[in-house]
Amino acid sequence: MSKNLVNLTVNPCKMCMPMGSVSAFYGIKKCMTILHGSQGCSTYIRRHMATHYNEPVDIASSSLTEEGTVFGGEGNLIKGIENMISLYKPEIIGVATTCLAETIGEDINRIINEFFKKHPEANVRIIPVSSAGYSGTQYEGFFKALRAIVENVEMDVKKNDKVNIITGLISPADTRYLKKLLDSMKIDYILLPDISDNLDGEYKKVYNRLQEGGTSIEEISLMGGAKLTIELSTFIKGEDSPAEYLYEAYGVPYVRCSLPVGLRDTDMFIRQLVKAGGTMCAETKKERGRYLDSIIDSHKYNSEGRAVIFGEPDFVYSTVRLCAENGIMPVVVATGSKCSSLSNLLIEEIQKASDYAFVEKFKIIDDCDFDTIEKYALEFGANVMIGSSDGRRIEEKHKLPLVRCAFPIHDNIGGQRVRILGYEGSITLLDRITNTLLTQKEHSFRSALYNKYYKSNLETKSNMREAVLPVETPSEDMKTVNLKKSATHPCFNGCGSGYARIHLPVAPKCNIQCNYCVRKYDCPNESRPGVTTEILSPEQALGKYKIVKQKMPNLTVVGIAGPGDSLADFENTRKTLALIKEFDSQVTFCLSTNGLMLPIYAEELAGLGVSHVTVTMNAVNATIGAKIYKHIDYMGNRYFGEVGAAILMANQMAGIKKLSSLGVVCKVNVVMLKGINEYHVRQVVKKAKELGCDISNIMQLIPVAGSAFENMPLTSNKEIMEMRKICGEIMPQMYHCRQCRADAVGTLDNDQSIEFRGCTSATNKKGILFAVSSKSGVLVDQHFGHATDFYIYEYVNKSIRFREKRSVSKYCDGSESCDGMGSGNKEGKMDAILEAVKDCNGVVAMRIGEVPKQRLKEKSIEIFTTYDRIEDAVKKAAEQLCV
Amino acid sequence: MTESLILEERKDFIKFGFEKSGKTAIKCESNSVSGAVSQRACVYCGARVVLNPITDAFHIVHGPIGCASYTWDIRGSLTSGSDLYRNSFSTDLTEQDIVFGGEKKLSAAIDEVVQKHNPKVIFVYATCIVGVIGDDVEAVCRHAEKKHGTRVIPVKSPGFSGNKSYGYKMACNAILELLRPHNNISKTHGVNILGDFNLAGEMWIIKNYLNEIGIPVVSTITGDAGYDNLIKAPSAGLNLVQCAGSMTYLAKKMEAEMNIPFIKVSFFGVEDTSQSLIRIAEAIGTEENINKAKTFTQSESDRLRPLLEKYKSRLEGKKAAIYVGGGFKAISLIRQFNQMGIETVVVGTQTGKPEEYEIITGLVGQNAVILDDANPAELETFMKEKDADILVGGVKERPLAYKLGIAFCDHNHERKHALAGYEGVVNFTKEINLSMNSPVWEYIKQET
Repeated sequence: MSKNLVNLTVNPCKMCMPMGSVSAFYGIKKCMTILHGSQGCSTYIRRHMATHYNEPVDIASSSLTEEGTVFGGEGNLIKGIENMISLYKPEIIGVATTCLAETIGEDINRIINEFFKKHPEANVRIIPVSSAGYSGTQYEGFFKALRAIVENVEMDVKKNDKVNIITGLISPADTRYLKKLLDSMKIDYILLPDISDNLDGEYKKVYNRLQEGGTSIEEISLMGGAKLTIELSTFIKGEDSPAEYLYEAYGVPYVRCSLPVGLRDTDMFIRQLVKAGGTMCAETKKERGRYLDSIIDSHKYNSEGRAVIFGEPDFVYSTVRLCAENGIMPVVVATGSKCSSLSNLLIEEIQKASDYAFVEKFKIIDDCDFDTIEKYALEFGANVMIGSSDGRRIEEKHKLPLVRCAFPIHDNIGGQRVRILGYEGSITLLDRITNTLLTQKEHSFRSALYNKYYKSNLETKSNMREAVLPVETPSEDMKTVNLKKSATHPCFNGCGSGYARIHLPVAPKCNIQCNYCVRKYDCPNESRPGVTTEILSPEQALGKYKIVKQKMPNLTVVGIAGPGDSLADFENTRKTLALIKEFDSQVTFCLSTNGLMLPIYAEELAGLGVSHVTVTMNAVNATIGAKIYKHIDYMGNRYFGEVGAAILMANQMAGIKKLSSLGVVCKVNVVMLKGINEYHVRQVVKKAKELGCDISNIMQLIPVAGSAFENMPLTSNKEIMEMRKICGEIMPQMYHCRQCRADAVGTLDNDQSIEFRGCTSATNKKGILFAVSSKSGVLVDQHFGHATDFYIYEYVNKSIRFREKRSVSKYCDGSESCDGMGSGNKEGKMDAILEAVKDCNGVVAMRIGEVPKQRLKEKSIEIFTTYDRIEDAVKKAAEQLCV
Repeated sequence: MTESLILEERKDFIKFGFEKSGKTAIKCESNSVSGAVSQRACVYCGARVVLNPITDAFHIVHGPIGCASYTWDIRGSLTSGSDLYRNSFSTDLTEQDIVFGGEKKLSAAIDEVVQKHNPKVIFVYATCIVGVIGDDVEAVCRHAEKKHGTRVIPVKSPGFSGNKSYGYKMACNAILELLRPHNNISKTHGVNILGDFNLAGEMWIIKNYLNEIGIPVVSTITGDAGYDNLIKAPSAGLNLVQCAGSMTYLAKKMEAEMNIPFIKVSFFGVEDTSQSLIRIAEAIGTEENINKAKTFTQSESDRLRPLLEKYKSRLEGKKAAIYVGGGFKAISLIRQFNQMGIETVVVGTQTGKPEEYEIITGLVGQNAVILDDANPAELETFMKEKDADILVGGVKERPLAYKLGIAFCDHNHERKHALAGYEGVVNFTKEINLSMNSPVWEYIKQET
């Protein structure tokens, strides 16, 4: 099975048949294409092509509707062809069917006959191609259209000396290369299709909406008399092959070559051309020599390549061979098309590469999606992807670089200029692959080697860090003042009751990911750190403090404890502290943090009057830390594993040391995690003591659903108490922790946060009322009689204020079909409208009819008609009314 | 010259600025003209635009591969949670399924998804073919919902069944279906934001503003929405409708079914953003919220003024063409251009409504041309004729503008910079300047 899910394709690695067909028609001179189906198909395909080629892409649609679907789309298609002729004056029209047209069984040939019956004068050739989206991919659709083209052009069977060259979907730049090569070899050729100009046009003063380039019908008509056809495709099916058709119908012999990519396949193609009478020129020989030179230059870098190659079968085949001949191991080879021979034709090649590189695992998959490609890419340790920009999700998610060199390329510019064919194109592509490998190595080798070999323990690292910090003498005075404040701090005074604290949830962001934490904090019923029902701005926080202080005189402590980290978003924390300090200079400020940013802000915190800081420090050893912290975000980078843990711990320790040197009372919280740090806690507390901490608090894990530690066994109360006892010998312990919420209010034993949520109130005064008829909600832009809603404004104390929006439908008497949503009983609706505005002093509308004008006057409601911004209009109306 | 490029049956869809009064209104809200090369997409597209930003939903496209392939992760809706929505799931129907029907495959696909991923909600989009081969998608979804106890919601979006706007409606119906079991949850203080899709983080910007003025947000529909948050929507006290084209229908339904009133707002342009914020505070906030809104909007406007003044000298007197999806967006763009001193000379939409065209007619000058469901030939003709300096539009229009030597501003779902709010005004103004006054045009103009 080639997919992870059996019944679903997850992130398709293919497009549909009509996409291929219209691409092929784009290589025909003066040709326009119409898709027979619903409007979306053409629009989506145009979008895809326009972003890849950066060219206007015009594809018509017969815009089938429900009616056309039920009764047949003949009318639509004929109309469509007529309209295309008037707008574009094409000489050829391609009619490609879609899923819809095929399923409802449209007979395109008959419709085309009908068209010509109606328009005998029409000087246009119409070429139908059957391209139901569900019967193949763009790959088959492309060749089917080419086949339909040669089948529908009358051939001049007189023998000529030309060689037909038929290609699959190659870029305009590669098409130009191919033409140059053929010219240089003095081959008389007909290239089908030729998208070199039509999908990569020049800027000219005059723009032609009908493309002027491409293979002309005259040229195509000579294909039947050619001496040879070379078809550049490995996997084309017989029934889709123009070469086979030309052979069967006109006896033109044919050979099939793979796309000329890499040394062997380019050599092979040139050999065929020589056989067909061409001569290899000196410049091409030089190109070949340069290719050989370049592959020597880059072979060692390439030998580290583990490639994922995906796309159309022909592209995949050629790219695999290019990689293999350069020692790049193709570990995942995938196409979205059904193509069972891909594996047969490539297995030997890849096996050889795998023997060379001693890479055992690889996979060749057809009918494949990106979900599957992603799985194997990771499993087999790929380090580069080669294909279209559809691989960008995997690139972004797993930092697996992608070389964009196949259709479609949406997120880079220059899809039309991609080069892969011939010796020179091969070097261009190979250089891009090699450079991708080199860049990746350059970016990662330092940290990779550091992580692999640098095994010194954390203590040494943190000592180094401390050594460079300036040594400061602790400010004893400050410390004494702060210690006195501990007496009224419920968390530091050793007994939980008496004094109250408020946690102001102003800091939602966090800069580390602990494995016991889920960053979803909105829960009114759960009580644990990191939970709150609201986030306050600094001003709101001050407001809340004022209200709570009034009702709770024993409130002595203001804390900031998240719900994220109070220092991750320091702006809000700083502003909150400053505002409250200005209002109440007596308050004790307390703050809890993970300590990552502590060295940076410690001084400022002390300056703002923060007397108590709690740092949650779960380990002082990076190996243990790496099990607790998933990653940290520091100075614009994300660090994982031991590197992340080491940075965090170094900063925690440096920060605590700095704080205590500034006289701030420090507490260390340690979450005791079974099987992770249970035997390490004592060391943490010891270290904390050395750094100048005053108290530590050993806590239980709260198993939060959805966190990595969700199912971790809990430390029992007994074990916690025992640990506290042991650590009590090192420094004082907190025995009464309640592990409170980030918006806790009250004493430790009595959380009253619920009573103070959203604690502000409003008063209403009644002034003059205006009803505004508005469609957009921004402008007075609706007739009074069309109103479905009124915006009610109040004018009071010389200023206006929005009161409410009234839906007219609510004022219906019920019996009418007056739904307030448009038409219906006109009179009933007007009654409802009048009912909706009856308490107003004025109405403001864009226009108003005579009848409602009268009826409003009867109720002495003033009328103002205008076209203006709502607020401006109401202001003007109010001023007029109140003069 | 001009006349011959306009198809006879397209003439009623085109109106000129000098025909302001008297003449019959522009024709709109009709089917596209076959063969005219419409820029419109389909019903499925409309539905997908609205629902896709729901980040933790499984979006299964029931149909052949094309529909899923072309809509895979091409939109700039950002997420703060799951990124499941960035995947494209398709039943990838093949010839055999067309003959024997796709119900079994769909049913098996849902079973598989539930077993392996246990999602909270699955949306199943019915595409063109499904409508024709007669798969009963609703029945399959209903059955799956019963079997698994997971929400499985059908989205009726065969491409041919209408236009993109109809797709919006089908998406709104799917959202209602999702909310209905929760319609009666008790009300809280807060608002829902409807019709912002968090393109380039715009929903976050708006939420930040509301946070700044102290208005809590309950649910966002659908930018950066997740299932758990979405089902709280019925508890909101007010709905804010930002993209009126796609969401007014939903707001009206929510008002009727859940008793949530709504107001329309706009966060495009300084004035609109300011007035909207003040109105929101007045609608649901306290005295304090209103004061905050006034202070905040004033300080933001003051902050922007010097910058906008600085740019104005470079922009004044230029001419703009607009071709966007909905009428509401076109209107706000014309007004923003007016503020910059730029005249709008061509304006068109894919799905504008009669009232919107009436407003547009009122806003533009005598010289302007207004187009409904325009095609490349018309855009080309009128942009050249009116000598536009810049086109604001979507991805498909960009290469055309460039080929004609005209600057371009991306105003679409794929952009990677915010255009909403005060930040958006700055970005928009900068983008207009950087494209319109780029050095490349000097050289282009020298070409003969």
